[in-house]
Amino acid sequence: MSVLPWLVAAWLFGIGLYGIASSRSFIHLIGCLSVCQSSTYVLLLGIGYRWGAVAPVFYDHPPGTPAVDPVVQALVLTDIVVGATVTALLLAMALQVDRKYGELDPQKLRPLVAKARR
Amino acid sequence: MSILLAMVLLLAALAGAGVVLTRDPRSQVFALAANGTVLTLLFFALQAPDVALSELAVGTAATPLLFLVTLAAVRINRQRR
Amino acid sequence: MTPRLRIGLLGLAGLCLLPAIWKVAAALPPFGEPTAQYGPAVNRLGPELRHVSNMVSAVNFDFRGFDTLGEEFMLVCAVTGAAMLLRGARGEDLSARAGRVEGRAVIGRAESTILISRLFGPATLLFGLYMALHATVTPGGGFQGGVVIASGLLLTYLGEGYRGWRQLIGSRVLDAIEGGGALLFALAGFAPMAFGRAYMQNILPLGTFKDVFSGGLMLVENAGVALAVTGGFAMLFLEFMEETRALESESGG
Repeated sequence: MSVLPWLVAAWLFGIGLYGIASSRSFIHLIGCLSVCQSSTYVLLLGIGYRWGAVAPVFYDHPPGTPAVDPVVQALVLTDIVVGATVTALLLAMALQVDRKYGELDPQKLRPLVAKARR
Repeated sequence: MSILLAMVLLLAALAGAGVVLTRDPRSQVFALAANGTVLTLLFFALQAPDVALSELAVGTAATPLLFLVTLAAVRINRQRR
Repeated sequence: MTPRLRIGLLGLAGLCLLPAIWKVAAALPPFGEPTAQYGPAVNRLGPELRHVSNMVSAVNFDFRGFDTLGEEFMLVCAVTGAAMLLRGARGEDLSARAGRVEGRAVIGRAESTILISRLFGPATLLFGLYMALHATVTPGGGFQGGVVIASGLLLTYLGEGYRGWRQLIGSRVLDAIEGGGALLFALAGFAPMAFGRAYMQNILPLGTFKDVFSGGLMLVENAGVALAVTGGFAMLFLEFMEETRALESESGG
């Protein structure tokens, strides 16, 4: 139990990497990239957790009750929102690739093959 | 309490594997939305309400919509060619 | 490199790294035990130093304001890049109607969908605004409120249809909101320098604990972030949806 979050984070990163390497569509690849990103969220939040602690918002609990680490939560929170906009940028690039080459398969788009088609 | 956390962590690992192993992009969108929901539950169990709020809005609404609209645009562009 | 060779190499690399991963996972502090000292210090000193009760917002906008400034500009850059890519490649002869795919039936929106979207769209917008305003009191803030407002705009799209939604949301307003939010955040840091203090130092009156208007300069930065995130996500939705418009020749003028 005490190593489970670290193993889950490693598992998510590993399987996301496998998905990126074996993907047949750029859009599927971008989804696997988001799985890789979520592994970092799990790792960071796992580091900040304490047994029996509350959320670091002292509205209902008086200041001084043991709370989890707020610094890693701040990191993950901005990361999630910015990660979504980066995903949008990657999707825009995938749209351009499809428009230019008519193909969304990363294994069919090699530099030499693309040059030959032009 | 620790059993709940262990189960939610394993569920998150399964949801991530589900996203990768769903090869068809149109079905992967739903796997992404499910992954977003499971991650929201995990962040909630880890006592992080702010993070759970942003993951809920982003992972279940914004990102799957962007994927769906991209797939629709690809289909319309291919039909036009 | 064939696909099988690529997966084989990945598997080989994974096998070589597996003992290292196990060793690192065992060497990390056990899950749930105290690790760093910075977090508990923020929890202990934050409420009396800044009069806020949401420690995550305090870390985001005050104790670690520089990091949020960087993230803010990352967001603006990504949205600008996506908008440039999409706008630059779109043609000029696009109509205001949604595109159609040949051979697929066009199913109109159900009345229940329209009703629910018209009920919950404005409610979600209001909830997102509430969440963005109460950044320093309850869980919430600019980032969360901004994305909830953007998802409220999605519900509006479901309720009004493509043409009505496009009339509601103007592209220029969104550009102004997004850029203006980031600019507000960056300039909020310069205001303390006019009084001889450091960049982004909290000089405004801090207010009372558990009050909505507590935190001083954090509220200005929070407003900047909420504007930028709302404008950015709404602009992304608009740009992506515009990719699916029908051509002038298809729609008949």
